[in-house]
Amino acid sequence: MIQEARARVTVGIFAEMADASTAAPPSGESAAAALEFLAEMSPDLRGAAILGPGGEVLAATEGDEGRWEDDAAALFAAADEAEGEPVEQVHIATEQGEVFAIRNAGLAAVSVTERFALASLMLFDLRSALRQLATPNFGGSEPPKPRKGEK
Amino acid sequence: MTPAKPHRVLLDRVSVYADEAAAFMRRRRVSRRPFARLYYPHGRSADHAQDSRSGAELFVAAGRLIEVAGKKPKR
Repeated sequence: MIQEARARVTVGIFAEMADASTAAPPSGESAAAALEFLAEMSPDLRGAAILGPGGEVLAATEGDEGRWEDDAAALFAAADEAEGEPVEQVHIATEQGEVFAIRNAGLAAVSVTERFALASLMLFDLRSALRQLATPNFGGSEPPKPRKGEK
Repeated sequence: MTPAKPHRVLLDRVSVYADEAAAFMRRRRVSRRPFARLYYPHGRSADHAQDSRSGAELFVAAGRLIEVAGKKPKR
């Protein structure tokens, strides 16, 4: 009895999870909104970009979008090649600044920060942004549902 | 001699922790060198030295991204 109830609940949980292979890619507007939120949350952020499943730029802060796309692709290619295995996160600290890159839920994000930015916080914020974008109600083609009391 | 007020003890303790943290950050700024760290699924991570072939490629790619991002925007 309990197992049946648990199985029903579990199926429900998985049905609500965003699946990278089936979910529609998020719109540019929602990606831009996520980037704006990220910039607000991270005072050390210099620039960032969110990439779609095919590596195309969905949104970027300042700078040439084509360059963000090419340079992010080059970074992921170099990282994947380093040990012959696809990476999940990249953190490179240089004298000029720090670079973070992450893949999550079929999307990817890269960010550039000032030196000595807190890595765990930056990676957490990037991951949260991608997860939110991957949920259909936030980043998909459907607009978010209005809350109670809103028209 | 009367003992220190409880809130003073607490404030002193917090100040000591803040001083320790500031000293740690200072040391970190002085001693930290460039690095490239890759994280894989299941929690594995690997460091790549700047003078290795893979490390050099990573630093070049990171340098390009830093160039694209430019300077920190004024808010």
